[in-house]
Amino acid sequence: MAQLRQDFAEFEKRQTRVVVVGPEDARAFEAYFRKHDLPFIGLPDPTASVLKLYGQEVNLFKLVRMPAQVIVDKEGMARFVHYGHSMADIPENSELLELLDIITDKEITEKV
Amino acid sequence: MPKVSLSTPAPNFSLKNFTGETVSLADFTGKANVLLVFNRTFT
Repeated sequence: MAQLRQDFAEFEKRQTRVVVVGPEDARAFEAYFRKHDLPFIGLPDPTASVLKLYGQEVNLFKLVRMPAQVIVDKEGMARFVHYGHSMADIPENSELLELLDIITDKEITEKV
Repeated sequence: MPKVSLSTPAPNFSLKNFTGETVSLADFTGKANVLLVFNRTFT
């Protein structure tokens, strides 16, 4: 989360909202977001309805959720899907920003 | 468990944010890209 926080302005520049969905309740979300001054949209999902809808994996051995990231473009299409295979399996910001540049370039080309 | 596939419509959902406002994925359609981050835990 700190990694994303670092490049928040870069995501904003690419007209991208960062939406964090997690299994904690609203109080835990609020406490964590305030403590770390996170500018993202935080969506508590204590019943894991969206986490299940998107197929977030659970490591049954360790009973933890694996990280996952999805980029949805302005048309509502999934343009990047990453399901982590370990707790540390998170894409680099540079990879996400590069893809967002491609999506943005395509939008500009289509409008011309 | 279903997984989202590339270049397919992302499933819409609505959840309340931690201040109680409802946020839907569809709210961003036509306005902004969305990076959905499915968190591990905060601990």
